[in-house]
Amino acid sequence: MTAIETVNLTIYYGQKCVVKNVNLKIPENIVFAIMGPSGCGKSTLLRSFNRLLELNPNARVEGDVRLYGKSVYEMNPIEVRRRIGMVFQQPNPFPHMSVFDNVALGLKLNGLVKSKKELREIVEWALKKAALWDEVKDRLRDPASALSGGQQQRLCIARALAMKPEVLLMDEPTANLDPVATEKIEDLIYELKEDYTIVVVTHSPSQAARVSDYVAFLYLGELVEVGKTEKVFEKPENELTERYLTGRTG
Amino acid sequence: MLREVKEKLFLFGIAVMTALTVLPLFHIIYSVATRGLPVLLRGGIGFLTGTLAPPGDGLGGIGPAILGTLILTALASLIGLPVAVMTGVYAAEYPESLIGRLTRTLLTIMMEFPTILVGLFVMQILVIPMGSYSAIAGALALALVMMPYVAVYTEEAFRNVPFTYREAAFALGLSRFKVVFRVLAGMARKGIVTGMLIGMAKVAGETAPLLFTAGGSNRIYFAGIDKPVGAIPLLIYYLVQQPYENYHEIAWGASLVLLLVFLAIFLPLRLSLKEVKL
Repeated sequence: MTAIETVNLTIYYGQKCVVKNVNLKIPENIVFAIMGPSGCGKSTLLRSFNRLLELNPNARVEGDVRLYGKSVYEMNPIEVRRRIGMVFQQPNPFPHMSVFDNVALGLKLNGLVKSKKELREIVEWALKKAALWDEVKDRLRDPASALSGGQQQRLCIARALAMKPEVLLMDEPTANLDPVATEKIEDLIYELKEDYTIVVVTHSPSQAARVSDYVAFLYLGELVEVGKTEKVFEKPENELTERYLTGRTG
Repeated sequence: MLREVKEKLFLFGIAVMTALTVLPLFHIIYSVATRGLPVLLRGGIGFLTGTLAPPGDGLGGIGPAILGTLILTALASLIGLPVAVMTGVYAAEYPESLIGRLTRTLLTIMMEFPTILVGLFVMQILVIPMGSYSAIAGALALALVMMPYVAVYTEEAFRNVPFTYREAAFALGLSRFKVVFRVLAGMARKGIVTGMLIGMAKVAGETAPLLFTAGGSNRIYFAGIDKPVGAIPLLIYYLVQQPYENYHEIAWGASLVLLLVFLAIFLPLRLSLKEVKL
Protein backbone atom coordinates (compact mmCIF):
# COMPACT_ATOMS: atom_id res chain seq x y z
CA MET A 1 0.00 0.00 0.00
CA THR A 2 1.21 3.52 -0.74
CA ALA A 3 1.36 5.71 2.37
CA ILE A 4 2.41 8.95 0.73
CA GLU A 5 2.29 9.90 -2.89
CA THR A 6 3.29 13.15 -4.51
CA VAL A 7 1.78 14.18 -7.82
CA ASN A 8 3.58 16.77 -9.95
CA LEU A 9 4.69 18.45 -6.75
CA THR A 10 6.27 21.84 -7.36
CA ILE A 11 7.19 24.28 -4.60
CA TYR A 12 8.15 27.94 -4.87
CA TYR A 13 9.62 30.35 -2.36
CA GLY A 14 8.41 33.62 -3.80
CA GLN A 15 9.53 33.44 -7.44
CA LYS A 16 12.18 30.81 -6.83
CA CYS A 17 11.31 27.23 -7.66
CA VAL A 18 12.90 24.92 -5.08
CA VAL A 19 11.15 21.62 -5.80
CA LYS A 20 10.40 20.77 -9.43
CA ASN A 21 7.66 18.44 -10.51
CA VAL A 22 8.41 15.60 -8.11
CA ASN A 23 6.46 12.34 -8.41
CA LEU A 24 7.12 9.90 -5.58
CA LYS A 25 5.38 6.85 -4.17
CA ILE A 26 6.31 5.95 -0.60
CA PRO A 27 5.13 2.45 0.39
CA GLU A 28 3.96 1.91 3.94
CA ASN A 29 6.01 0.38 6.75
CA ILE A 30 9.39 1.02 5.21
CA VAL A 31 12.15 3.53 5.72
CA PHE A 32 12.26 5.89 2.78
CA ALA A 33 15.34 8.11 2.57
CA ILE A 34 15.47 11.36 0.66
CA MET A 35 19.11 12.24 0.08
CA GLY A 36 20.87 15.02 -1.71
CA PRO A 37 23.35 17.82 -1.17
CA SER A 38 22.52 20.82 1.04
CA GLY A 39 19.99 23.19 -0.43
CA CYS A 40 18.52 20.68 -2.88
CA GLY A 41 15.01 21.06 -1.46
CA LYS A 42 14.87 17.93 0.74
CA SER A 43 13.59 19.68 3.86
CA THR A 44 11.14 21.74 1.83
CA LEU A 45 9.80 18.59 0.19
CA LEU A 46 9.40 16.94 3.60
CA ARG A 47 7.55 19.93 5.04
CA SER A 48 5.04 19.85 2.20
CA PHE A 49 3.92 16.37 3.36
CA ASN A 50 2.52 17.59 6.70
CA ARG A 51 1.72 21.09 5.44
CA LEU A 52 4.25 22.61 7.82
CA LEU A 53 5.45 24.66 4.87
CA GLU A 54 2.43 26.88 5.43
CA LEU A 55 4.23 28.50 8.37
CA ASN A 56 6.36 30.19 5.73
CA PRO A 57 4.16 32.80 4.06
CA ASN A 58 6.39 32.88 0.98
CA ALA A 59 6.05 29.20 0.18
CA ARG A 60 3.64 28.13 -2.55
CA VAL A 61 2.77 24.54 -3.39
CA GLU A 62 1.49 23.24 -6.72
CA GLY A 63 0.51 19.68 -7.47
CA ASP A 64 -0.61 17.34 -4.75
CA VAL A 65 0.49 15.25 -1.77
CA ARG A 66 -1.71 12.25 -0.94
CA LEU A 67 -1.88 10.40 2.34
CA TYR A 68 -3.33 6.93 1.68
CA GLY A 69 -4.90 8.24 -1.49
CA LYS A 70 -6.46 11.37 0.01
CA SER A 71 -5.09 14.82 -0.74
CA VAL A 72 -3.60 16.40 2.40
CA TYR A 73 -4.39 19.80 0.91
CA GLU A 74 -8.08 18.99 1.11
CA MET A 75 -7.82 17.84 4.70
CA ASN A 76 -7.71 19.94 7.85
CA PRO A 77 -4.00 20.72 8.40
CA ILE A 78 -4.37 19.88 12.09
CA GLU A 79 -5.54 16.36 11.22
CA VAL A 80 -2.74 15.97 8.68
CA ARG A 81 -0.15 16.85 11.31
CA ARG A 82 -1.64 14.44 13.83
CA ARG A 83 -1.37 11.60 11.33
CA ILE A 84 2.09 12.62 10.10
CA GLY A 85 4.52 13.22 12.97
CA MET A 86 7.79 15.03 12.57
CA VAL A 87 11.28 15.10 14.08
CA PHE A 88 13.62 17.97 13.31
CA GLN A 89 17.28 18.53 12.56
CA GLN A 90 17.92 20.43 15.77
CA PRO A 91 16.72 18.46 18.81
CA ASN A 92 13.92 20.81 19.91
CA PRO A 93 12.09 19.55 22.98
CA PHE A 94 10.28 22.45 24.64
CA PRO A 95 12.98 23.65 27.03
CA HIS A 96 10.66 25.06 29.67
CA MET A 97 8.73 21.81 30.09
CA SER A 98 9.64 18.60 31.88
CA VAL A 99 10.52 15.38 30.10
CA PHE A 100 7.06 14.06 30.90
CA ASP A 101 5.22 17.18 29.76
CA ASN A 102 7.04 17.23 26.44
CA VAL A 103 5.61 13.84 25.57
CA ALA A 104 2.23 14.51 27.18
CA LEU A 105 1.68 17.93 25.60
CA GLY A 106 0.18 16.87 22.28
CA LEU A 107 -2.11 14.32 23.94
CA LYS A 108 -3.31 16.78 26.56
CA LEU A 109 -3.86 19.77 24.32
CA ASN A 110 -5.56 17.71 21.63
CA GLY A 111 -7.83 16.09 24.21
CA LEU A 112 -6.77 12.60 23.18
CA VAL A 113 -6.70 11.03 26.65
CA LYS A 114 -9.53 10.54 29.08
CA SER A 115 -7.65 10.13 32.36
CA LYS A 116 -4.33 10.89 34.02
CA LYS A 117 -3.68 7.17 34.17
CA GLU A 118 -4.12 6.78 30.44
CA LEU A 119 -1.86 9.77 29.87
CA ARG A 120 0.88 8.23 32.02
CA GLU A 121 0.54 4.92 30.20
CA ILE A 122 0.86 6.47 26.75
CA VAL A 123 3.80 8.63 27.82
CA GLU A 124 5.58 5.57 29.18
CA TRP A 125 4.76 3.61 26.04
CA ALA A 126 6.10 6.40 23.80
CA LEU A 127 9.29 6.77 25.83
CA LYS A 128 9.86 3.01 25.67
CA LYS A 129 9.17 3.00 21.96
CA ALA A 130 11.77 5.75 21.56
CA ALA A 131 14.29 3.69 23.58
CA LEU A 132 14.53 6.42 26.20
CA TRP A 133 12.44 5.09 29.10
CA ASP A 134 15.27 3.39 30.99
CA GLU A 135 17.36 6.54 30.92
CA VAL A 136 14.66 8.99 32.01
CA LYS A 137 12.18 6.99 34.11
CA ASP A 138 13.61 8.56 37.29
CA ARG A 139 13.92 12.04 35.80
CA LEU A 140 10.49 12.57 34.29
CA ARG A 141 10.13 15.86 36.19
CA ASP A 142 13.51 17.22 35.09
CA PRO A 143 13.47 19.95 32.47
CA ALA A 144 13.95 18.57 28.98
CA SER A 145 16.91 20.89 28.50
CA ALA A 146 18.84 18.88 31.12
CA LEU A 147 19.06 15.85 28.80
CA SER A 148 21.96 15.21 26.43
CA GLY A 149 21.59 16.02 22.72
CA GLY A 150 20.94 12.41 21.75
CA GLN A 151 18.43 11.95 24.56
CA GLN A 152 16.69 15.17 23.54
CA GLN A 153 16.35 13.88 20.00
CA ARG A 154 14.85 10.59 21.23
CA LEU A 155 12.53 12.64 23.43
CA CYS A 156 11.39 14.45 20.28
CA ILE A 157 10.75 11.08 18.67
CA ALA A 158 8.71 10.03 21.72
CA ARG A 159 6.81 13.31 21.53
CA ALA A 160 5.89 12.56 17.93
CA LEU A 161 5.08 8.88 18.60
CA ALA A 162 2.75 9.71 21.48
CA MET A 163 0.31 11.12 18.94
CA LYS A 164 0.19 7.66 17.31
CA PRO A 165 0.94 8.91 13.84
CA GLU A 166 0.88 6.73 10.75
CA VAL A 167 3.89 8.38 9.15
CA LEU A 168 7.01 9.79 10.80
CA LEU A 169 8.99 12.47 9.00
CA MET A 170 12.60 12.95 10.08
CA ASP A 171 14.55 15.95 8.85
CA GLU A 172 18.25 15.09 9.19
CA PRO A 173 17.64 13.72 12.68
CA THR A 174 21.30 13.02 13.41
CA ALA A 175 22.91 16.07 11.82
CA ASN A 176 23.68 17.62 15.21
CA LEU A 177 24.54 14.45 17.12
CA ASP A 178 27.76 12.62 17.90
CA PRO A 179 28.44 9.17 16.37
CA VAL A 180 27.24 7.19 19.39
CA ALA A 181 23.94 9.08 19.60
CA THR A 182 23.62 8.80 15.82
CA GLU A 183 23.91 5.03 15.99
CA LYS A 184 21.17 4.85 18.62
CA ILE A 185 18.82 6.91 16.49
CA GLU A 186 19.58 4.81 13.42
CA ASP A 187 18.87 1.59 15.34
CA LEU A 188 15.65 3.14 16.50
CA ILE A 189 14.61 4.07 12.96
CA TYR A 190 15.16 0.47 11.95
CA GLU A 191 12.91 -0.80 14.76
CA LEU A 192 10.16 1.76 14.23
CA LYS A 193 9.48 0.80 10.64
CA GLU A 194 7.52 -2.23 11.81
CA ASP A 195 4.74 0.09 12.91
CA TYR A 196 5.32 3.28 10.98
CA THR A 197 6.19 4.58 7.59
CA ILE A 198 9.35 6.60 8.03
CA VAL A 199 10.59 9.26 5.67
CA VAL A 200 14.06 10.38 6.59
CA VAL A 201 15.93 13.23 4.97
CA THR A 202 19.70 13.01 5.00
CA HIS A 203 22.64 14.62 3.27
CA SER A 204 24.75 11.58 3.98
CA PRO A 205 24.60 8.75 1.40
CA SER A 206 26.12 6.36 3.93
CA GLN A 207 23.31 7.01 6.37
CA ALA A 208 20.76 6.46 3.63
CA ALA A 209 22.48 3.16 2.82
CA ARG A 210 22.46 2.10 6.49
CA VAL A 211 18.86 2.84 7.40
CA SER A 212 16.67 2.90 4.32
CA ASP A 213 14.76 0.39 2.21
CA TYR A 214 14.04 2.85 -0.57
CA VAL A 215 15.99 5.92 -1.48
CA ALA A 216 15.32 8.99 -3.58
CA PHE A 217 18.08 11.25 -4.82
CA LEU A 218 17.13 14.88 -5.10
CA TYR A 219 19.39 17.34 -6.88
CA LEU A 220 18.64 21.06 -7.32
CA GLY A 221 14.98 20.43 -6.62
CA GLU A 222 14.60 17.65 -9.17
CA LEU A 223 14.08 13.99 -8.48
CA VAL A 224 17.03 12.33 -10.19
CA GLU A 225 16.55 8.74 -9.17
CA VAL A 226 14.40 6.63 -6.88
CA GLY A 227 14.34 2.93 -6.09
CA LYS A 228 15.26 0.17 -3.69
CA THR A 229 18.27 1.23 -1.71
CA GLU A 230 20.50 -1.72 -2.66
CA LYS A 231 19.72 -1.22 -6.31
CA VAL A 232 20.36 2.51 -6.32
CA PHE A 233 23.63 2.08 -4.46
CA GLU A 234 24.86 -0.89 -6.47
CA LYS A 235 23.68 0.09 -9.90
CA PRO A 236 22.66 3.73 -10.13
CA GLU A 237 20.94 4.43 -13.42
CA ASN A 238 21.78 8.08 -13.53
CA GLU A 239 25.31 9.37 -13.85
CA LEU A 240 24.56 12.21 -11.42
CA THR A 241 23.53 9.70 -8.74
CA GLU A 242 26.73 7.78 -9.25
CA ARG A 243 28.81 10.92 -8.96
CA TYR A 244 26.99 11.84 -5.73
CA LEU A 245 27.39 8.39 -4.22
CA THR A 246 31.07 8.27 -5.03
CA GLY A 247 31.56 11.69 -3.51
CA ARG A 248 32.23 13.64 -6.67
CA THR A 249 29.09 15.78 -6.40
CA GLY A 250 27.70 17.22 -3.25
CA MET B 1 54.58 53.33 26.07
CA LEU B 2 52.49 55.90 24.23
CA ARG B 3 50.02 53.19 23.31
CA GLU B 4 49.56 52.26 26.94
CA VAL B 5 49.01 55.87 27.95
CA LYS B 6 46.40 56.25 25.22
CA GLU B 7 44.69 53.08 26.39
CA LYS B 8 44.59 54.36 29.98
CA LEU B 9 43.30 57.77 28.88
CA PHE B 10 40.59 56.13 26.83
CA LEU B 11 39.46 53.96 29.73
CA PHE B 12 39.54 56.95 32.06
CA GLY B 13 37.42 58.95 29.62
CA ILE B 14 34.82 56.23 29.41
CA ALA B 15 34.73 55.86 33.19
CA VAL B 16 34.11 59.60 33.61
CA MET B 17 31.32 59.60 31.03
CA THR B 18 29.67 56.59 32.65
CA ALA B 19 29.89 58.25 36.06
CA LEU B 20 28.28 61.39 34.64
CA THR B 21 25.43 59.30 33.27
CA VAL B 22 24.62 57.41 36.44
CA LEU B 23 25.44 60.21 38.87
CA PRO B 24 22.08 62.00 38.51
CA LEU B 25 20.26 58.74 39.17
CA PHE B 26 22.16 58.15 42.39
CA HIS B 27 21.75 61.77 43.36
CA ILE B 28 17.98 61.54 42.93
CA ILE B 29 17.83 58.41 45.06
CA TYR B 30 20.19 59.96 47.61
CA SER B 31 18.32 63.25 48.00
CA VAL B 32 14.90 61.60 48.05
CA ALA B 33 16.10 59.15 50.69
CA THR B 34 17.87 61.67 52.93
CA ARG B 35 15.01 64.16 52.90
CA GLY B 36 12.15 61.68 52.74
CA LEU B 37 13.33 59.20 55.34
CA PRO B 38 13.16 61.59 58.36
CA VAL B 39 9.62 62.53 57.33
CA LEU B 40 8.63 58.90 57.01
CA LEU B 41 10.18 58.02 60.39
CA ARG B 42 8.55 60.96 62.11
CA GLY B 43 5.13 60.29 60.58
CA GLY B 44 5.31 56.55 61.17
CA ILE B 45 2.48 54.29 60.01
CA GLY B 46 0.14 57.23 60.19
CA PHE B 47 2.00 58.85 57.30
CA LEU B 48 1.05 55.92 55.07
CA THR B 49 -2.55 55.63 56.22
CA GLY B 50 -3.71 59.07 57.38
CA THR B 51 -5.14 61.97 55.42
CA LEU B 52 -3.47 65.25 54.55
CA ALA B 53 -2.64 67.64 57.40
CA PRO B 54 -3.94 71.20 57.37
CA PRO B 55 -1.50 73.87 56.08
CA GLY B 56 1.27 74.59 58.57
CA ASP B 57 0.18 71.91 61.02
CA GLY B 58 2.10 68.66 61.23
CA LEU B 59 2.52 65.84 58.73
CA GLY B 60 -0.77 63.95 58.65
CA GLY B 61 -0.66 61.22 56.03
CA ILE B 62 -0.84 60.46 52.32
CA GLY B 63 -3.11 57.42 52.58
CA PRO B 64 -5.61 58.48 49.91
CA ALA B 65 -2.79 59.11 47.42
CA ILE B 66 -1.12 55.73 48.07
CA LEU B 67 -4.43 53.88 47.83
CA GLY B 68 -5.29 55.90 44.72
CA THR B 69 -2.03 55.01 43.01
CA LEU B 70 -2.59 51.33 43.79
CA ILE B 71 -6.17 51.45 42.51
CA LEU B 72 -5.23 53.40 39.39
CA THR B 73 -2.35 51.05 38.58
CA ALA B 74 -4.50 47.97 39.17
CA LEU B 75 -7.42 49.29 37.11
CA ALA B 76 -5.09 50.45 34.33
CA SER B 77 -3.50 46.98 34.28
CA LEU B 78 -6.90 45.34 34.17
CA ILE B 79 -7.85 47.42 31.14
CA GLY B 80 -4.47 47.66 29.46
CA LEU B 81 -2.66 44.34 29.94
CA PRO B 82 -5.07 41.97 28.15
CA VAL B 83 -5.48 44.29 25.18
CA ALA B 84 -1.75 44.99 25.01
CA VAL B 85 -0.73 41.34 25.21
CA MET B 86 -3.18 40.41 22.46
CA THR B 87 -1.89 43.29 20.33
CA GLY B 88 1.67 42.08 20.85
CA VAL B 89 0.71 38.53 19.94
CA TYR B 90 -1.05 39.75 16.80
CA ALA B 91 1.94 41.81 15.69
CA ALA B 92 4.25 38.83 16.31
CA GLU B 93 2.01 36.26 14.61
CA TYR B 94 1.09 38.27 11.53
CA PRO B 95 4.15 40.48 10.96
CA GLU B 96 3.62 40.55 7.19
CA SER B 97 -0.01 41.61 7.26
CA LEU B 98 -0.97 45.23 6.75
CA ILE B 99 -2.51 45.54 10.21
CA GLY B 100 0.49 43.78 11.74
CA ARG B 101 2.98 46.18 10.19
CA LEU B 102 0.78 49.16 10.97
CA THR B 103 0.45 48.04 14.59
CA ARG B 104 4.19 47.79 15.06
CA THR B 105 4.79 51.26 13.66
CA LEU B 106 1.98 52.76 15.69
CA LEU B 107 3.15 51.11 18.90
CA THR B 108 6.61 52.63 18.66
CA ILE B 109 5.07 56.04 18.04
CA MET B 110 2.66 55.59 20.95
CA MET B 111 5.55 54.73 23.26
CA GLU B 112 7.04 58.18 22.76
CA PHE B 113 3.72 60.01 22.58
CA PRO B 114 3.44 63.05 24.92
CA THR B 115 1.46 61.63 27.81
CA ILE B 116 -0.29 64.90 28.57
CA LEU B 117 -2.08 64.54 25.22
CA VAL B 118 -3.35 61.14 26.36
CA GLY B 119 -4.78 62.90 29.40
CA LEU B 120 -6.45 65.52 27.21
CA PHE B 121 -7.93 62.82 25.00
CA VAL B 122 -9.44 60.92 27.92
CA MET B 123 -10.77 64.17 29.35
CA GLN B 124 -12.60 64.70 26.06
CA ILE B 125 -14.12 61.26 25.87
CA LEU B 126 -14.80 60.49 29.54
CA VAL B 127 -14.41 63.39 31.96
CA ILE B 128 -16.51 65.91 30.05
CA PRO B 129 -19.40 63.51 29.28
CA MET B 130 -19.40 62.22 32.86
CA GLY B 131 -19.14 65.73 34.26
CA SER B 132 -16.49 64.78 36.82
CA TYR B 133 -12.93 63.61 37.27
CA SER B 134 -12.91 59.91 38.06
CA ALA B 135 -10.76 56.92 38.89
CA ILE B 136 -11.88 55.17 35.71
CA ALA B 137 -10.81 58.13 33.56
CA GLY B 138 -7.41 58.18 35.25
CA ALA B 139 -7.07 54.43 34.81
CA LEU B 140 -7.98 54.61 31.13
CA ALA B 141 -5.38 57.32 30.55
CA LEU B 142 -2.75 55.22 32.34
CA ALA B 143 -3.82 52.13 30.40
CA LEU B 144 -3.21 54.01 27.14
CA VAL B 145 0.26 55.00 28.35
CA MET B 146 1.02 51.46 29.48
CA MET B 147 -0.21 49.50 26.49
CA PRO B 148 2.50 50.24 23.90
CA TYR B 149 5.28 49.16 26.30
CA VAL B 150 3.56 45.91 27.13
CA ALA B 151 2.64 45.23 23.51
CA VAL B 152 6.14 45.91 22.19
CA TYR B 153 7.76 43.74 24.88
CA THR B 154 5.26 40.95 24.23
CA GLU B 155 5.89 41.07 20.51
CA GLU B 156 9.66 41.02 21.00
CA ALA B 157 9.37 38.14 23.44
CA PHE B 158 7.41 36.00 20.99
CA ARG B 159 9.62 36.86 18.06
CA ASN B 160 12.68 35.84 20.05
CA VAL B 161 11.42 32.28 20.47
CA PRO B 162 13.40 30.28 17.89
CA PHE B 163 11.38 29.21 14.86
CA THR B 164 12.12 25.53 15.45
CA TYR B 165 9.88 25.45 18.55
CA ARG B 166 7.06 26.99 16.58
CA GLU B 167 7.48 24.28 13.96
CA ALA B 168 7.61 21.58 16.63
CA ALA B 169 4.40 22.82 18.22
CA PHE B 170 2.53 23.04 14.92
CA ALA B 171 3.84 19.60 13.92
CA LEU B 172 1.98 18.14 16.90
CA GLY B 173 -1.29 19.11 15.29
CA LEU B 174 -2.03 22.04 17.59
CA SER B 175 -4.17 24.99 16.60
CA ARG B 176 -2.49 28.38 16.33
CA PHE B 177 -4.16 29.51 19.53
CA LYS B 178 -2.73 26.57 21.48
CA VAL B 179 0.68 26.92 19.86
CA VAL B 180 0.86 30.55 20.94
CA PHE B 181 -0.70 30.45 24.38
CA ARG B 182 0.08 26.95 25.62
CA VAL B 183 3.56 26.44 24.19
CA LEU B 184 5.32 29.60 23.01
CA ALA B 185 3.99 31.83 25.80
CA GLY B 186 5.82 29.65 28.30
CA MET B 187 9.10 30.33 26.54
CA ALA B 188 8.38 34.02 26.08
CA ARG B 189 7.12 34.56 29.62
CA LYS B 190 10.19 36.43 30.86
CA GLY B 191 9.82 39.05 28.16
CA ILE B 192 6.06 39.31 28.60
CA VAL B 193 6.24 39.68 32.38
CA THR B 194 9.09 42.18 32.03
CA GLY B 195 6.93 44.25 29.70
CA MET B 196 3.98 44.11 32.07
CA LEU B 197 6.05 45.20 35.07
CA ILE B 198 7.78 47.96 33.14
CA GLY B 199 4.38 49.21 32.01
CA MET B 200 3.03 49.11 35.56
CA ALA B 201 6.10 50.79 37.06
CA LYS B 202 5.91 53.45 34.37
CA VAL B 203 2.28 54.35 35.01
CA ALA B 204 2.62 54.17 38.81
CA GLY B 205 4.89 57.22 38.51
CA GLU B 206 3.04 59.12 35.77
CA THR B 207 1.67 62.59 36.49
CA ALA B 208 0.69 64.22 33.23
CA PRO B 209 -2.03 61.77 32.12
CA LEU B 210 -3.73 62.15 35.50
CA LEU B 211 -3.85 65.96 35.61
CA PHE B 212 -7.13 66.23 33.70
CA THR B 213 -8.54 62.82 34.49
CA ALA B 214 -8.09 61.49 38.04
CA GLY B 215 -8.67 64.85 39.69
CA GLY B 216 -6.83 64.08 42.92
CA SER B 217 -8.15 63.54 46.42
CA ASN B 218 -6.28 64.29 49.62
CA ARG B 219 -8.82 63.60 52.33
CA ILE B 220 -11.21 61.01 50.89
CA TYR B 221 -9.74 57.54 50.38
CA PHE B 222 -11.95 56.07 47.69
CA ALA B 223 -15.54 56.89 46.83
CA GLY B 224 -16.10 54.74 43.72
CA ILE B 225 -14.53 54.39 40.30
CA ASP B 226 -16.69 57.20 38.94
CA LYS B 227 -15.39 59.63 41.59
CA PRO B 228 -12.10 61.54 41.74
CA VAL B 229 -9.18 59.66 43.22
CA GLY B 230 -5.76 60.63 44.53
CA ALA B 231 -2.34 59.57 43.27
CA ILE B 232 1.13 60.01 44.75
CA PRO B 233 2.61 61.92 41.77
CA LEU B 234 -0.43 64.22 41.66
CA LEU B 235 -0.10 64.87 45.38
CA ILE B 236 3.60 65.75 45.07
CA TYR B 237 2.82 68.05 42.15
CA TYR B 238 0.17 69.78 44.25
CA LEU B 239 2.18 69.99 47.49
CA VAL B 240 5.34 71.57 46.13
CA GLN B 241 3.31 74.43 44.70
CA GLN B 242 1.93 75.32 48.11
CA PRO B 243 3.67 77.93 50.27
CA TYR B 244 3.68 75.83 53.44
CA GLU B 245 6.80 74.35 55.03
CA ASN B 246 5.05 71.18 56.21
CA TYR B 247 3.61 70.50 52.72
CA HIS B 248 7.11 70.52 51.29
CA GLU B 249 8.16 68.01 53.91
CA ILE B 250 5.18 65.80 53.09
CA ALA B 251 6.13 66.03 49.41
CA TRP B 252 9.59 64.62 50.19
CA GLY B 253 8.03 61.81 52.19
CA ALA B 254 5.61 61.07 49.36
CA SER B 255 8.52 61.04 46.89
CA LEU B 256 10.27 58.37 48.92
CA VAL B 257 7.07 56.32 49.03
CA LEU B 258 6.74 56.65 45.25
CA LEU B 259 10.35 55.54 44.83
CA LEU B 260 9.68 52.54 47.04
CA VAL B 261 6.53 51.60 45.10
CA PHE B 262 8.58 51.83 41.92
CA LEU B 263 11.35 49.66 43.33
CA ALA B 264 8.81 47.20 44.72
CA ILE B 265 7.59 46.61 41.18
CA PHE B 266 11.08 46.53 39.66
CA LEU B 267 13.18 44.54 42.09
CA PRO B 268 11.26 41.26 41.95
CA LEU B 269 11.51 41.56 38.19
CA ARG B 270 15.28 41.71 38.26
CA LEU B 271 15.75 39.16 40.99
CA SER B 272 13.22 36.40 40.69
CA LEU B 273 12.46 35.86 37.03
CA LYS B 274 14.28 32.83 35.80
CA GLU B 275 15.48 32.73 32.25
CA VAL B 276 14.18 29.84 30.16
CA LYS B 277 17.20 28.04 28.77
CA LEU B 278 16.75 27.68 25.03
